Amino acid sequence: MKNSLKIFSALAILMLAFAGSSCASVKPYQKVYLNDKEMDLAARPLEYFCNNFQSYREGASGANGGKVGGGCGCN
Amino acid sequence: MRVQLKISISTAIFLLTGFISQGQNATKQKLEKDTVAFKIEKLQESDMSILFSYYTQDGDNAAVTGGRGTEHLTDITSKIIVNIVLDEKRTVSFDGGFDHYSSASTDNIDQFISSASKSDTRVHGNIGYSIKGKNFDYGFKVGGSKEYDYNSIQFSGYISKTSLDGNRTFGLSTQALIDKWVIIYPQELRNQGNLVTSDQRRSYSLSPSYAQVINRRMQLSISADLVTQSGLLSTPFHRVYFVDQAEAKVEKLPFTRFKLPVGLRFNYYATDHLLVRTYYRYYWDNWGIRGHTASIELPYKINRFFSVYPYYRFHTQTAANYFKPYKEHESNLLYYTSDNDLAKITSHDIGFGVRYSPVEGISTFSFGSASRPLTLKEISMRYGHYTRTPTLTSNIISFGLNFTF
Repeated sequence: MKNSLKIFSALAILMLAFAGSSCASVKPYQKVYLNDKEMDLAARPLEYFCNNFQSYREGASGANGGKVGGGCGCN
Repeated sequence: MRVQLKISISTAIFLLTGFISQGQNATKQKLEKDTVAFKIEKLQESDMSILFSYYTQDGDNAAVTGGRGTEHLTDITSKIIVNIVLDEKRTVSFDGGFDHYSSASTDNIDQFISSASKSDTRVHGNIGYSIKGKNFDYGFKVGGSKEYDYNSIQFSGYISKTSLDGNRTFGLSTQALIDKWVIIYPQELRNQGNLVTSDQRRSYSLSPSYAQVINRRMQLSISADLVTQSGLLSTPFHRVYFVDQAEAKVEKLPFTRFKLPVGLRFNYYATDHLLVRTYYRYYWDNWGIRGHTASIELPYKINRFFSVYPYYRFHTQTAANYFKPYKEHESNLLYYTSDNDLAKITSHDIGFGVRYSPVEGISTFSFGSASRPLTLKEISMRYGHYTRTPTLTSNIISFGLNFTF
């Protein structure tokens, strides 16, 4: 766990470098696959409930498009 | 001769600049034409989603009873989300719902008579307004929630800027939660005066995000939440038992907390039938928790309208500096908790979902000639089984209906 920040940083840099170096200019009419609802870069609406419970049952939460605090969750 | 040369160079530069400028304008016009054509095709519709879930959990480390005892809980939740498109640019949204829970652990706040909060209903609602520009969107939302011992008011706003070709989006959102506790102490500690110094909690966040199209089948996003919290961050009816004294105290945690989760999403349309959705999050906070969360989802399209997706999620985190299990704290410590949500934990969540969404919709309902017909566009279901070490298991089943009108 000590090296987790380094691992994460390396992973983030690797992904961004991959994205930056190999991005193609995709025209709107070429976005048939990208516009598919399953390709949304967000949690599904039904994940809302799961994410809500997991944010209470796990001390770590966030970066998932939901609430970032508040709520009791005390039971 | 020199004058002629100067004129020739100037003419060449002029023509070249004009050519480049014309080329750029042509490219820009083509791009705008593409974008405009795309926008005309994508008609905006008002929509409404109705979501339900049933959740049940059981474990043996309840924080109410000092890190041991039943954590049995059931929760029935319902939520409705309505987005009403006023015109090409403006949308008004509303979401609201309730969750009704029944909890064995909060029943132990008072170990002699059944506690008022052994079951409770939380109601919540938000109203929002958003403006969609050519490549620039923004909006805001206000709302609140209320339950027996906890009230919350929420404000949030966002802006997002999309590149002209629509392949890159930068977003920035912010959120403020102003919460107030109704202080309830464990029954045996109620004659000791004020055991906590505040009944308020404030949470503020700033969340930048960046999304990038990689090619026709791949896209990714990176997002972060910079969260700061202050106030009563402990729970006043959580007990802590000590190694060197018999009597319990109420949980005590620092007055402030700073959290920094960073998430990466990568989606890949692998074949005409199979997609890969992945997510990874690194979490850091100043209470000593470091966490890794990774998930993968494999939606498989049986046909154009029907898809199933198995998923798996893994999470691991270190314990907060202030956590120790039942009867392992020393009573002279400044902060202490035996809440296993802040413990060193590892969890696995496995499940599946189905989604049925025909292009023309499933069914249409009319409510007289004055109103627009309501079309049921999508039915979805999701089931998940969750296990956490130290021992906690839960199951959740959720259903969703999506309508357009």
